[in-house]
Amino acid sequence: MNGEGEDASKVIHVKFLTKLDYPFKVPVTSVVIPSSVTRLGLSSIVNSLLTLEKPEPFDFLIDGELIRMSLEQFLNAKGISAERTLEIEYIRAVAPRKEEKPSLHDDWVSAVDGSSPRFVLTGCYDGLGRIWSSPGSCTHILEGHTGAISSIAFANSEGAEGVTVATASKDRTLRLFKVDPAESGDSTTRVGAYKILCGHKASVASVAAQKYGSKVCSGSWDCTINVWDTNESTSELSVPGKKRKGNNQAEEPQLEGEAETTLVGHTQCVSSVVWPEHDVIYSCSWDHSVRRWDVETGKDSLNLYSGKALNTVDVGGEGSALVAAGGSDPILRVWDPRKPGTSAPVFQFASHSSWISACKWHTSSWFHLLSASYDGKIMLWDLRTAWPLSIIETHKDKVLCADWWKGDSVVSGGADSNLRISSGISIS
Amino acid sequence: MTKKKSEAANEDQTRDTKKKSVSAVKSSQKEKPVLAKQVKSSKEEEDLLLDSATDSDYDGDSLSGSLNSDDFDSDVFDSEDDASQKETEGGDKDSSEDELELHGNEDSDDDDEGEQVDSENDEEDGSDEEREVAEESDSSEDEVAPRNTVGDVPLEWYKDEKHIGYDITGKKITKKEKQDKLDSFLANMDDSKNWRKIYDEYNDEEVELTKEESKLIRRMLKGEAPHADFDPYAPYVDWFKWDDAIHPLSSAPEPKRRFIPSKWEAKKVVKYVRAIRKGLIKFDKPEEEPNVYLLWGDDSASDQKSKHLTYIPPPKLKLPGHEESYNPSLEYIPTEEEKAAYELMYEEDRPKFIPKRFTSLRSIPAYENALKESFDRCLDLYLCPRVRKKRINIDPESLKPKLPSRKDLRPYPNSCYLEYKGHTGAVTSVSPDCSGQWIASGSADGSVRIWEVETGRCLKVWQFKEAVKCVAWNPLPDFPILAVAIGQDLVILNTELGTDEEQQKIEELLRLGTLPEQDEAVAAIVSWLPDETYGGIKIKHFKNISYVDWHPRGDYLSAVMSAGETRGVVIHQLSMHKTQRLPIKMRGLPVCTLFHPTHRGMFIIATKKNVRVFNLQKRELAIKKLETGLREISSMAIHPGGDNLIVGSKEGKMCWFDMDLSSKPYKTLKNHPKDITNVAFHRSYPLFASCSEDSTAYVFHGKVYSDLNENPLIVPLEILRGHSTSSNRGVLDCKFHPRQPWLFTAGADSVIKLYCH
Repeated sequence: MNGEGEDASKVIHVKFLTKLDYPFKVPVTSVVIPSSVTRLGLSSIVNSLLTLEKPEPFDFLIDGELIRMSLEQFLNAKGISAERTLEIEYIRAVAPRKEEKPSLHDDWVSAVDGSSPRFVLTGCYDGLGRIWSSPGSCTHILEGHTGAISSIAFANSEGAEGVTVATASKDRTLRLFKVDPAESGDSTTRVGAYKILCGHKASVASVAAQKYGSKVCSGSWDCTINVWDTNESTSELSVPGKKRKGNNQAEEPQLEGEAETTLVGHTQCVSSVVWPEHDVIYSCSWDHSVRRWDVETGKDSLNLYSGKALNTVDVGGEGSALVAAGGSDPILRVWDPRKPGTSAPVFQFASHSSWISACKWHTSSWFHLLSASYDGKIMLWDLRTAWPLSIIETHKDKVLCADWWKGDSVVSGGADSNLRISSGISIS
Repeated sequence: MTKKKSEAANEDQTRDTKKKSVSAVKSSQKEKPVLAKQVKSSKEEEDLLLDSATDSDYDGDSLSGSLNSDDFDSDVFDSEDDASQKETEGGDKDSSEDELELHGNEDSDDDDEGEQVDSENDEEDGSDEEREVAEESDSSEDEVAPRNTVGDVPLEWYKDEKHIGYDITGKKITKKEKQDKLDSFLANMDDSKNWRKIYDEYNDEEVELTKEESKLIRRMLKGEAPHADFDPYAPYVDWFKWDDAIHPLSSAPEPKRRFIPSKWEAKKVVKYVRAIRKGLIKFDKPEEEPNVYLLWGDDSASDQKSKHLTYIPPPKLKLPGHEESYNPSLEYIPTEEEKAAYELMYEEDRPKFIPKRFTSLRSIPAYENALKESFDRCLDLYLCPRVRKKRINIDPESLKPKLPSRKDLRPYPNSCYLEYKGHTGAVTSVSPDCSGQWIASGSADGSVRIWEVETGRCLKVWQFKEAVKCVAWNPLPDFPILAVAIGQDLVILNTELGTDEEQQKIEELLRLGTLPEQDEAVAAIVSWLPDETYGGIKIKHFKNISYVDWHPRGDYLSAVMSAGETRGVVIHQLSMHKTQRLPIKMRGLPVCTLFHPTHRGMFIIATKKNVRVFNLQKRELAIKKLETGLREISSMAIHPGGDNLIVGSKEGKMCWFDMDLSSKPYKTLKNHPKDITNVAFHRSYPLFASCSEDSTAYVFHGKVYSDLNENPLIVPLEILRGHSTSSNRGVLDCKFHPRQPWLFTAGADSVIKLYCH
């Protein structure tokens, strides 16, 4: 009698629901499962119900929270009664299913941009920017910088006939390149900059482009953020032959641009900038703050204080309003600036063991973001759980940059001079 | 009180007057009226109801009277109290007058009764014969014990009984038939001797007074002595010896003051009463001594209380068990094998007592070790007197200085996230540039490297032939040049990190044109040369350079040559390509030098033992001399405020000097077990650090207040470990990041570590 009672208490009636389509849809029936089952067990149950050819890992949500312990512990922790029939929603697990061939560079890969589904942009410590159309095939090399490239970004990627790329470098300049993706053949084309943006007094740390416009902004070690125009026509003077040492770009006519606006306010190096909306720039700095700037007025409208020197910032998530930033400690922090009266982060993810070098929100999902760290790991996070969804440990040294690509891949570059692409991440 | 007793005895006297005789006579005069009244009452013929009842009534009266007097007595006391309370003397007086009056009343009563008896006695004269008859029985009746044996109990108890009591044999004494009142009255009237008869209620019989007795009574009633042969007026015998008396004896009457209550005392009493009422005088309650005590308690506990010679009780022995009995049961007796086994044991392990069996107490031999043991005990007492240790019980926590919690002093470097790897030899020196973007390091492998702080990437490498002793970044932000000490050379390196205009300026500066003429003395020890390999300036010295420091303005830099003795410190001016010797006479071997951060001309030189502060512009002797008390100074750093200095020494001690306060160290911190290699202050955060050959670096909170009255607050925060020891050397240099609360440490294990907050 007693034993039966115990058995009964360890059994839960569940109903599996999903928003997935045909091959992953199970019939909506109540299933009795033992309560000690974990995520892996649930996944195998669903797989057995589906009778797929290849087993598919799933993640499970109860009341909008991901299960990361045994079902019993989860229910106890959340205070959910095990008496009624539980409705468990399942999604395909967010984890890379395929590791693409690494693309070797000549030096450390310091910057990567995957905002265009057609290419991946990388910046390298050898001063060259590269455009990769697929893993291993470099179509263009962007040359001209005399220092290491620190950041690279698609500027005006909507243009059909050509793509504009902005690079920021430690030689205190930014360069703008025009690339025609159509002309790319088997061989790599070397492209020179059509415009050089000079004005920073120290290394440029970060560049970001306006989403639907012709402007880029850059953060620099001289504590300022400059806003530049990318248009060719507005260039004031052409410099046919620059007298920079060891720079033989005299053949190509080059334009030199000057900053439209300078946003002053940070007291230390501006390590990262993002331009998510038309006239709003977010920036983070080693002075421990994240600021939101209004480009029109040049004033900062928000100032989040984190207490640590910050390396990277990104805006995204729910309503593209959450601010994620990481820096000189292993904790990735997410703020919600819409919350009044508090500057405490709403989420803190602390699974890394060293500085965080990059963090990016997924472009379509409100919940997913990635972080790259000097401990050589890239972690995928879901706001609905405090544990990382998956850890990509393909890099053998510090990961310096990482981004989403095509919505289902993670591109990353690091101190092992490789661009690595982990694909097959299913984010609904 | 005697009155009471006598009255209680009244009944005895009445029931048996003969027996009463002497005692009655001796009793005070106040008994007389009682007796007399009884006599009289028995005689009074008019009162028909005259019998024992009236007697008892009277007794009650007299008793009440005596009670009254008692009351009175208490009244007196009360009134005294009252008086003291009311603080009136009149009350006192009144009460005493009352007393007097009452006495007077009693007296007057006595008098009246006496008169009555007198008058009665006059009538009895005619009946002398009967008295003589009674005299015969007088002597015989003296021996007769009272018939009733019930004792002194109220006779009311027997009121309803048929018997009055018990005789000596225990038989009941039955009450006599009471005569009819009229008959008895008639009989009394007839009997001429009736007046002598007294009814003894106690024994329930009639007693007839003898002639002698009635005389006795009569005399007593008159107030004379009961016996006729007693002479109240006997001649006075003066027993007092007048001759050898020391004090004069006065026959003067007693002064009045001895009879009236003292006013002073009354005042004093009033005072005390007031004080008691106000609570100024308090009476301690008598301590209640517990009437139980711990019978089996340890004696030593009670001894501890006494403050005298402390007796230290010997440790308590184990109580003997059954086996120590002279005749223990058989199972305690060891067998032969066991005894043999005991013999084989070590003496220490052997049991101290082996049970033995004796048939009787008689056969127990004397204890063989008694003498030996008592001798040992005496020897113990003599040789090792046990002394009670005086121990002070102080909570060690309370002795610690009250320091703020580490959490409140954040941020400070505590964990290492970044390492800068690339050197192949011990990193001897690091120097971050003023923006905090780069850090330069010099190593024993002869290379100077520049690293990117953010990523740990090595940006530039210069290779030299000799080990690099010291690197120092120019403090000006637009002048990114490095001063590197390599052997005898001081090399100025262009890092090429500045903007184009800055580069032009630097190149100009580093181009050695026509050198200005140096003094001969200077030229002998220093020569300026162009550096062929890296295009900088090489300043060649006559001895090995151990330390380089830039002036905060970036134009001057000082070089220290430990072996140079009096010429050990030179100051180079970069803009003029000129070298100056110190205008001051040096004493001792220089170790390191510092330019004062705020005061332009101030120059601080640390020799092996002391630290001296000079003013270069005034060419004076030392302005200040700091006595470190250290054996060998190894490093020195100055607070950005300029008033506080820390000095590290090779014995692992670090001294904090408040230069405004004293020339002695404000605080000496002894943390490192091995040599301190360097000390550093943070430029903006209240932090300072020391690193040592023991492969650790310590981080301290060192807050300097602008209020001069407040001493600097020094709190140790963190021990930074992580470096490994290589060839007995640990951390060789530590520098703070100029803007972040981070610390760079250069290890002999060829790694530079960055500790972040």
